[in-house]
Amino acid sequence: MRDTRVKFLVFLFSAVLLITSGCERRPAEADADQMALRHVLYSRVSGLDPANVRDTYSRLVVSQIFEPLYDYHFLKRPYQLIPALAEQMPQISEDKLVYTIKIKKGVYFQDDNCFPQGIGRELEAEDFIFSLKRIADIKNLSPNWTYIDNRIAGLDEFREYTKTCRSAEDVDYSRNVEGLSSRDEYTLVIKLKKPWPQVVHSIMANTAFAPVAKEAVDYYGEDIISHPVGTGAFKLSAWRRGSYIELVRNGNFRGQVYPSRGEEGDAEAGYLDDAGRAIPFADKVVWTIIEEYRPTWLLFMQGKLDASVIPKDNYDEVMAGSGELTEAMKQRNIHLKTFSDPSTYWLGFNMADEVLGPNKALRRAISHAIDREKFIELFFNNRHLVAHGLIPPMMPSYNRRIKEKGYSKYDPEKARELLEQAAETNGGKIPGLKIAMPGIDTFYRQYGQFLKRNLNAIGLEVEIQYTDRPTYQERLNAGQVQMFASGHSAGIPDAQDFMSLFRSKNGTQAANGFNYSNARFDELYEQAQVMSDSPQRRRLYRQMELIVLEDCPAAFLNHRVAYVLCHDWYKNYKPHAFAYGLSKYRRIDKAKRSAYNELVKKSK
Amino acid sequence: MRTYIIRRLLYTIPIVFGVLLLSFVLFSVVGGDVSIEMAGEGAGAETIEEIRQEYGLNKPLLLAWDSQFVNHFKNALTFNFGKARDREPVIDKIKRGVGPSLALTVPMFFGVVIISVSLSLVLAFVHGSAWDTIGVVICVAGMSIPFLSFIFFGQYFLAYKWGLFPVFFSPDYSLAQNLGLPVLIGIAAGLGGNVRFYRTVMLDEMRSDYVRTAFAKGLSARRVLFKHVLKNAMVPVITRVVLAIPFLFLGSVLLERFFGIPGLGYLMVEAIGSRDYRIISAMTYISAILFVVFNLITDICYSLVDPRIALE
Amino acid sequence: MSEHRHIIKTDAPPTSSVEDRSRGGGLWRDGLRRLGRRKLAMACLAVIILYFLLAGFIHLAELFDWPVGPMRWQEEAGKSYSPPGSKNIFGTDMFGQSVLRKTLYGAKISITVALCASLISIAIGVPLGAIAGYFRGFTDDVIVWIYSTLSSIPYILLILAFTVVLRDRSIFGHKLAGITAVYLAIGLTSWVGVCRLIRGEVIKHKDRGYVQAALSYGCGRWRIIFRHILPNVFHVVIIDFSLRFVAFVHAEVILSFLGLGETNNPSWGAMINDARMELSRGVWWQMVAATAAIFVLSLALNIFGDALRDSLDPKLRITRES
Repeated sequence: MRDTRVKFLVFLFSAVLLITSGCERRPAEADADQMALRHVLYSRVSGLDPANVRDTYSRLVVSQIFEPLYDYHFLKRPYQLIPALAEQMPQISEDKLVYTIKIKKGVYFQDDNCFPQGIGRELEAEDFIFSLKRIADIKNLSPNWTYIDNRIAGLDEFREYTKTCRSAEDVDYSRNVEGLSSRDEYTLVIKLKKPWPQVVHSIMANTAFAPVAKEAVDYYGEDIISHPVGTGAFKLSAWRRGSYIELVRNGNFRGQVYPSRGEEGDAEAGYLDDAGRAIPFADKVVWTIIEEYRPTWLLFMQGKLDASVIPKDNYDEVMAGSGELTEAMKQRNIHLKTFSDPSTYWLGFNMADEVLGPNKALRRAISHAIDREKFIELFFNNRHLVAHGLIPPMMPSYNRRIKEKGYSKYDPEKARELLEQAAETNGGKIPGLKIAMPGIDTFYRQYGQFLKRNLNAIGLEVEIQYTDRPTYQERLNAGQVQMFASGHSAGIPDAQDFMSLFRSKNGTQAANGFNYSNARFDELYEQAQVMSDSPQRRRLYRQMELIVLEDCPAAFLNHRVAYVLCHDWYKNYKPHAFAYGLSKYRRIDKAKRSAYNELVKKSK
Repeated sequence: MRTYIIRRLLYTIPIVFGVLLLSFVLFSVVGGDVSIEMAGEGAGAETIEEIRQEYGLNKPLLLAWDSQFVNHFKNALTFNFGKARDREPVIDKIKRGVGPSLALTVPMFFGVVIISVSLSLVLAFVHGSAWDTIGVVICVAGMSIPFLSFIFFGQYFLAYKWGLFPVFFSPDYSLAQNLGLPVLIGIAAGLGGNVRFYRTVMLDEMRSDYVRTAFAKGLSARRVLFKHVLKNAMVPVITRVVLAIPFLFLGSVLLERFFGIPGLGYLMVEAIGSRDYRIISAMTYISAILFVVFNLITDICYSLVDPRIALE
Repeated sequence: MSEHRHIIKTDAPPTSSVEDRSRGGGLWRDGLRRLGRRKLAMACLAVIILYFLLAGFIHLAELFDWPVGPMRWQEEAGKSYSPPGSKNIFGTDMFGQSVLRKTLYGAKISITVALCASLISIAIGVPLGAIAGYFRGFTDDVIVWIYSTLSSIPYILLILAFTVVLRDRSIFGHKLAGITAVYLAIGLTSWVGVCRLIRGEVIKHKDRGYVQAALSYGCGRWRIIFRHILPNVFHVVIIDFSLRFVAFVHAEVILSFLGLGETNNPSWGAMINDARMELSRGVWWQMVAATAAIFVLSLALNIFGDALRDSLDPKLRITRES
């Protein structure tokens, strides 16, 4: 009897083995004669629907597949917009409200099953209108609505209308919106509610507002997040979620040539070698998704990635003391590129908090207690810049004399003095304070420890609260935090993004965590908002920055400076702070790449 | 016999009910409303309200025909787990993760079983000698090393220092290359406890009367061991194996996290990081169902083979 | 696989050999005498006691603000990442903090979590198991249903789910930060094993002579369960937990590693997590220190647990899946 039992179980056992062993998948082999760009994404991509991009990495991929009306010039600095899908820069009416945009003729969507016979259709002005309406449609829950909230005539009414619809299918997109119309197939007219000069940068040059074909939305429904149908230089060929994404050249791409003029020094740097040639160069773009720096670094050194950031703990291996690459790196023909990121990071204070809010001395004390240079040394190998103010140094409105004001000076003595004052204001010793951290991983834990050590040193008790990002966000929105570690990176070459964080809460905008309010600041903000970039406007920004620094709703800590390494075979890799869709410009020198592979083989 | 199967089937109903009840209490009652977190940075109140509506969070928790409680059960029983935070259906995520997870855990698990059964036979064979003692000491030592350290040193030395394996999951390599190291580490970490367990099983079997009889008949030790002991010891071994199979579907949280294997363990870690209760809840439910089903199958099979069981 | 270090009992109730109860207390006296003769086990016990004393000491130091070494782990003991040497036996970490002090402090977290989790699971599992075993019938069905439900969910998933949900929630106005959520999660999910064990034992003991005798004296049922039966089967609990303790220590390490554990003070899991990146710059000491601390504790617990089982109840088999 036992025998049968054993036999049966052995059978069961082997059946399971058989079933499970079928789960193999093909290895992604790179064809030898194809030119493939090999990149890494540090986070998973959540979806490839432009209207619903939520994170930088999704945006990066989406930007290769979709194109907006305008795009940044690849080489020129300061950053300059050039027409992409548009024929020329917009014609703006006298009252600065009506934008008329001519669209390029002969631009086709990529071939896809959603079109009749699977052949891509020509792009029309209506496609832009449809895409804007999609973002307004509340059923789509687009996070990009905040950009155009209360901006375009009639669109808010359309949003109100979609709220009354019972389901996504019921929304009627043919409904007229006053501010969005097409004069003919190739002319788009957008009417604003009030002047907003940044509309060109914020909306028209933003991939989130790139045209999406209505056919694709109808055909794929909710699945549109994994079936992008665009007009860009590449199209999706494979996406294994959480593992890798592969794009191939889009045969219907409108055609574009590599720029033949750039800024000074571009010719010497080899950025003009390909001038006048048709782009894209690469046949394929492959992103591997790796959420940690260490393996990325190893893959880079093995020649399996074209470029990489320098992980903190590999810094000594890469950089010699003088800010140069080490000999080992030079021998491998690895190049270093640095560029200033339009970002600022801070320790924010909740001004609505009963301890911090009314006590400016306390906030100042905390700001002076943080040793920013040490922070940058420990965490970023001295690569970042100390933030003396709110506006990053690469912005045109940056105040070159901001450092002299000394708002970010590390001065424990002064901090202790201020703390004594603060205790008086508080009517007794300052109680233990809490800092909210937006993550639970090693970086945030060490960051928290660093802040705690600094504040303990001047005699402040602090508790660090490490939470996952969603919880952090929830508590920030609900005003439940005292201090919070946060930061912002601008999406357009204008400091407006930073300024908008500090204006008083108005009904539609969610809380920004500071709960800061200053009537003078708001007044200047309203004034600057309707102006286009000019010396006056920059002066206004600097004034606003000083108001913020004086009130001290945050201790500004650092501005990021990106250091990236690339192999010598990776051509036309000029860093860009704002543009995403740059893969079309990149080229691979295959001879150099195979030479490197030989080198790696030999050294083993 | 039929009544036994029916009885056994009926018995699974309260278990499934219990699992659903537990996940409801955990994620909907204690866990609370996640719509604000889902809406993300800078979302307005209206978006949050829309999300609450879409995900049914605005419905009453209990005591209504269309309550969250009833819907939770309805959805689970129809395997409709809704959408994850990034709007991809949860079930798609799970389907995608099963393959890599199984590719990792199946060879790992059977590697552990085969090696540790063989080793335990050897130890049972030399039972009482110095070798046995050394073997047991090594086993206990192996059990005492944290799993994390196994992964860590394995990755550092075998992959990073000596370059024998890829350091991280990458589509450039074949599946075998990618999973070689994690499987090896999993086996190494699992051996200690398993060898010790199977050694006890073997020794127990060796103490039985029939073994004594076999020895008394004058059979050689080797013959007794392989012919009788191993054969009979297979029953507890295989029972253990079959019951462990449903857990294989879950993958390995730590190995997948370390090596970036896009399986269910990774999905789990990701869901924790973003507080995506729907994923955690769905995985809890599915793994419990698998466990119950496998239990059911084994029990019914046993009763087919051994009718006495059905009468108990 | 050893991350699912959960404990599965063979369904048949373990056979107890302790028939001879006439010499009251003989079980313990005999068992402890047998245990005392095992030198290795006693050495391990000493190690375990040392860990407990250390943890207790740090608790006291925290309470009374004694400026002892481990309490001053935040002080700068040297330069950032200085290697092990005469000044710092285990070197320093990123902030120049002594790794030795952090490791010692970590003992407090691990021991506290494992102890609290044990107490919680005993407090739930033992009474439930005893009640189920004694009363049988409907009560039994309900309790068996609860634990069958819990045990049909993979242990690691269950613990993670509990921790994620419990973290940062307030219960009765008390916020479940850091390790409280961890030991609650472990405790609330780990009582199944002991409950099942006790139930089996109680079923067996119910018909024994001494229980019948107590019944005939007119003892109440609760009194019989808690005063008569439980003391006679409690050694099973002790043995079970001496082995389960290791699993709890490892669970805490994994949770801390995933960022779900203690965050404001050093813990072994967090140290391992921090050390992960540092290895590429050749900083191995933090990793080795934390691993060694865990290794020594679990080795001692494993060996001692085995010896305890062999001594107290030679035929009782508590097998462990790893």
